[in-house]
Amino acid sequence: MFRGWTFGQRLAAGFGIGAATLLVVAALGFQTNSMLTQNTRSVTHTYQVQKTLTELTADIIDAETGERGYIITGDDDYLTPYRAALARVHDDFHRAQQLTTDNPSQQRRFAALSPLVDRRLAELKTGVDTRRNVGMQPAVKVVLTNLGLQTMLQIRAVIADAIAEEDRLLAVRAANTKAAAQLATAISLWGGLLGAILVLGIGWFMARSLSGQIGQAVSRLQNSSTELQAAATQQATGAKEQSTATSEITTTISELLATSRQIAESAQSVAQLAEQTASASRSGHGTVEQAGETIAGIRRQVDQIVADMLDLGKKSQEVGAVLEIVSELAEQTNILAINATIEATGAGEAGLRFGVVADEIRKLADRVGGSTKEIRSLIDDVRSAVNTTIMATETGAKTVEAGAKQYAEVAEAFTEISGLVATAAEAAREIELSTKQQATAVEQVNVAIVNVAQASKETETSSGQTLTTAAQLASLSGDISKIVLRKAA
Amino acid sequence: MSEAVARLAEQARQLRNDFDAGFAEAARGDDAVLADLLTLRAEGEPYALRLAEIAGLFADRKITPLPGGRAGLLGCAVFRGSIAPVYDLHALLGHAAAAPPHWLALAAQAPVAFAFEAFEGHRSVRQGAILPREAGDFSRPFIRDFVSEGQEGWPLVHLPSVLAALGERRARRNLGSQED
Repeated sequence: MFRGWTFGQRLAAGFGIGAATLLVVAALGFQTNSMLTQNTRSVTHTYQVQKTLTELTADIIDAETGERGYIITGDDDYLTPYRAALARVHDDFHRAQQLTTDNPSQQRRFAALSPLVDRRLAELKTGVDTRRNVGMQPAVKVVLTNLGLQTMLQIRAVIADAIAEEDRLLAVRAANTKAAAQLATAISLWGGLLGAILVLGIGWFMARSLSGQIGQAVSRLQNSSTELQAAATQQATGAKEQSTATSEITTTISELLATSRQIAESAQSVAQLAEQTASASRSGHGTVEQAGETIAGIRRQVDQIVADMLDLGKKSQEVGAVLEIVSELAEQTNILAINATIEATGAGEAGLRFGVVADEIRKLADRVGGSTKEIRSLIDDVRSAVNTTIMATETGAKTVEAGAKQYAEVAEAFTEISGLVATAAEAAREIELSTKQQATAVEQVNVAIVNVAQASKETETSSGQTLTTAAQLASLSGDISKIVLRKAA
Repeated sequence: MSEAVARLAEQARQLRNDFDAGFAEAARGDDAVLADLLTLRAEGEPYALRLAEIAGLFADRKITPLPGGRAGLLGCAVFRGSIAPVYDLHALLGHAAAAPPHWLALAAQAPVAFAFEAFEGHRSVRQGAILPREAGDFSRPFIRDFVSEGQEGWPLVHLPSVLAALGERRARRNLGSQED
């Protein structure tokens, strides 16, 4: 029911209930006190009425005493109480009549008392006048008529009834005052007790409700403060790193600026070199054409060498064929010589000289055979060399052909390079212009980076202040948590 | 190349001189102390034949195979107008048969030819260089002597014993056929 209420609403409700309780108790106390005051006032009024009645009685008695003293002495000094009583008696009568205007029975008594008082005063005046004018005896006779005594008795009876009435009223009002005092005491005691219990209950409920909710809020605040502190720490670290990085960037930008200036100077040199290269490429184009003609001549000579070597190979094969024949002849001669030797041996003495001839022929055939082997080896070497040379020459011819082709491509590429060099020279000039613009831009970037570095330092300082504030907030939340959650904990 | 040509020219000159000197010298009288040999190779191993035991040396003669040829008999060939059987000398010496044999040696003792793969040459050695078989360790048949000259050596094939063995084999075959 109270979950949706705000702290102000809860506090207002709690203090409102307490205030209402106090108001009720105060109202009851006020009412009771008013009643008690009224009763006390009534009692005082009663006492005033009784006092006034008593004074009225005393006034009449004083007047009567003065009248009797004057009658006895004839001295005017005895008329002093008489005259003072005459001066007060009507005032006291009227005051007592005024004090009892709320009481009809008392008003009826004063209505009956008024002619009695007047009559008694007239009787006293008669006595005084008689004493002064006639003398003492007539005055004593007037007194001895007992008319004054009877009047005085009636007056005393009426005043006694009025006082009795006031005593009755006094008893009633004293009882009311006592009841009002008891009621005020009860209201003060039980109302205070009830109010205290109610305030304590409301306080307990408010403390429980608010401490729980504030505790949760403080706990969240503490967590948030911790997270804020961590974030502030991280932010401070990041700001510091950013400041350091910005300083490094500033240094790098400064180096970049110097490098850009050097590049601009280098680009200017490159543009000059590119112009010189373009000039050199134009002169080199004629040299390339002459070299192409030379390569064509080399190609024709290599083709001639290949043809000559092929012819040499054929001749070597023919020599080899002739050598085969010579070798075959040597072998056949060897066989013939051996057989001749055999025949000469079989001929005995007659064949000795023939045997010598046959032996020499055989030796000759052997040596011819050996020589043919050597020549065949040489021929083989020559053929191998020729074949190798032919293959190398053919390879060379192919290489020359490929070289010529490549040279043609090189020449074409050179022409293209010459054009590209001209383009490169133009591009170098553009690069020179661009690098100058780039250097200017880098200078602007350098200024901007210096500003950024200053901002980073300010951010670092601000982060430090944020970190300090976050730490203070975390400490404060911890203190609040200790204050709020001590009971809950 | 020029060095090789000069060397060949020197060899030709030496040949001419030696050839002329051979006819100028007197006939040798010490033939008894020399022996003429033909050196050859069978399956890579060196062998020698006495020149006195052969009637002729031939090359690339056509050998006509004979039906029902016996072991080692290659066929027959014509030598100087006569027909002679041709045996594989490799097979007779215990080697694997050579195919096709290029050289043929005709025996002097009988009209029988022996074919072999490689002919090395004619060689005249002193009689003292011919040693009995016991001087070497030879397991091949028909080897009775051994020729040693310098670092070289040749088992000497004894053709008469080869012919005798072929005669004995032929005799046993003829005897066997008669008994049948």
